Amino acid sequence: MTVIAKSWGRLTLPGKVVFTLIPVLLAATVGLVAVIAIVGPSIVDILADNLPIVRFVVAATVILLITIPTAFLIIYMEMKVIALMNLRIGPDRVGPFGSLLSVVHGLKVLMKEDFTPTGADPIVFTWAPVVVYLASVMSLLVIPFAPGLFAQDLNLGLLYFFAIGGLSVVGLLMAGWSSYNKYSLLGGLRAAAQVVSYEIPLTLSVVGLILLAGTLSLNQIVLNQAGWFTDWYIFQQPLGALIFFIAATAEANRTPFDLTEADSEIVAGFATEYSGMRFGFFFFAEYVNVFIVSALFVTLFFGGWNAPFPWPWPATVSFDPGSLGIGLLLLVAIVPLVLTFVFAAPVWLASSRIKGWQALIVGFVLANLFIMAIIGAWAYIGLDWVAGIVWFLGKTYVFVFTFVWMRGTLPRVRIDQLMDFAWKWLLPASLLNLFVTAVAIVVFTSVRTGP
Amino acid sequence: VSFLSGLVPGLGIVKGMSLTLRRFFEPKVTVMYPEVRVDVPGKFRGRLQLLYDEWGTLKCETCFQCAQACPIECIDMGGIDTRGRYHVHWGAPETYGERREESALRRSGRTVPDPAYLPFAPVDLGALDTILEEHDHDPARMLSILEATQDAYGYLPVAALKRISHLTGAWYAMIYGTASFYGHLRFEPPAAVEQAAAVTAHRPPEADYVTALQAALGRSAGRAGQGRGTAAEA
Repeated sequence: MTVIAKSWGRLTLPGKVVFTLIPVLLAATVGLVAVIAIVGPSIVDILADNLPIVRFVVAATVILLITIPTAFLIIYMEMKVIALMNLRIGPDRVGPFGSLLSVVHGLKVLMKEDFTPTGADPIVFTWAPVVVYLASVMSLLVIPFAPGLFAQDLNLGLLYFFAIGGLSVVGLLMAGWSSYNKYSLLGGLRAAAQVVSYEIPLTLSVVGLILLAGTLSLNQIVLNQAGWFTDWYIFQQPLGALIFFIAATAEANRTPFDLTEADSEIVAGFATEYSGMRFGFFFFAEYVNVFIVSALFVTLFFGGWNAPFPWPWPATVSFDPGSLGIGLLLLVAIVPLVLTFVFAAPVWLASSRIKGWQALIVGFVLANLFIMAIIGAWAYIGLDWVAGIVWFLGKTYVFVFTFVWMRGTLPRVRIDQLMDFAWKWLLPASLLNLFVTAVAIVVFTSVRTGP
Repeated sequence: VSFLSGLVPGLGIVKGMSLTLRRFFEPKVTVMYPEVRVDVPGKFRGRLQLLYDEWGTLKCETCFQCAQACPIECIDMGGIDTRGRYHVHWGAPETYGERREESALRRSGRTVPDPAYLPFAPVDLGALDTILEEHDHDPARMLSILEATQDAYGYLPVAALKRISHLTGAWYAMIYGTASFYGHLRFEPPAAVEQAAAVTAHRPPEADYVTALQAALGRSAGRAGQGRGTAAEA
């Protein structure tokens, strides 16, 4: 007994914690395994019976989780791209090329004090960031990322998207109203005025496209654009695409329409009184919105996950690694080794100054890159969702870059210019687009079917 | 192209976007300073250049930082300052620190409460012109001119010295040298001299006590022992 007590006394605090946790974890694991073994089959049966619900819950969770790295990536992109445009270097300290700086920002925000000002309405104040972030995440539910890779294929997808997008205004207004601060209130009111005004041209600009597509389902709209890039709706709806892009910029509160949080005028708008992770939610929602708006733009006008050309033409590579049997195991064991030597040999032979171990390191890296390229190419050709997500994300980030690029270039418009532009230019233009499209459809169908 | 930019809406946006895109791909010249240090000579201070603003006036604010940092003391500030007042900065670079404070005050828009500027106040030059007429504007009779000027004004104002330099053709610096060589010529009004004497006369009683003590002890206060050259000055 004394030996055990002595040993226990010698342990440091982390050691004591670990030694306490290990048996607890072991017991819990054993218990969990036992529970799964006993009632597992029935649980699986229940899940299998309710597959749509399970699928939706999993998809919603995944969507919620991928918004975080997306926001991190876009925040980093914004810092770096605008810095490069300003002839600066930008973030370069944390991670490769400073790419982890936005993660550090996130951690910083997480550690700050969560503060509610005196006079604020605590319930509304607390729920406002949740509503804003929820609106962003819920909009993402209907975006088709790849063939078969979407949370829900609503037949009202586009309408749902605009409805949920309008929900974020409620959050902004809640934040502005409950903060008990004139700048917040101004920001909230600006947000309401701006987003409500721009929602009209935004919605009207896609009505022409809906007439063409004959559906509101985003997945079906993407499928309609399959084939060559000339089948994309941008070539049939150029005016609609332009109006949509401008109005979407205003919807996402991005420069030059970032009046809701014009920091040089009204501090930070609706987010003035927010600190800590509540502010972080607003901040994240803004960047998730940039992604969503770009994704929707790509989905509607740039073919979604379709490649711009129908490639590869012999579209199938029927290769099942499992058919190799024991050969697969040998392949996994031998091929990397062989490839390392194969790639190391020319490096070693190239110069007498390169030592053998250096050549081996280079060969190892090259062999890994080669294997990754091969596997990537196989996945791209063999799995249509890999190709789809590559094209979708590639196109989306082109437009994310465009938003950042615009932020690095354009100054902010005045509120009266903003309203004038929405009501006097965008709204008539979107109506014109709608009428021209409708007339064109009527003319074409009557020509085709005969009088 | 310039008339098009007014007609086509959004052309300015396109121009701006293309500019930022070009900047995006341009190589950046930033030196990662604490890790990387550019190999420059120890006395390198960058390229010195006087810049002009868009109205064609000098941007120099006479902050004296360049003169103060000049390693071989080759920069001297002079000429017209930002308020249009004439000032010759004459003296050692050590005094530039004080002048920088002056300059900051001047740039702030307030009047500079500096007695050093009093000698530069303009004076009535009628008497001086008569004196110069009498001396035939002859720089060789400079001492006589200066004495007559001091008799007329009570001292030698800077404005008068400038006028003499202008009309006789002698360099200001040489006139200043001549004037400062002779003890009976002065640059301040005699009132200032009298004031200084009055201040010296108003010594506190402690000073008299210390003097008396020093006389009694035969050594100066504040020093231990009879060091070299410690005779009581009083």
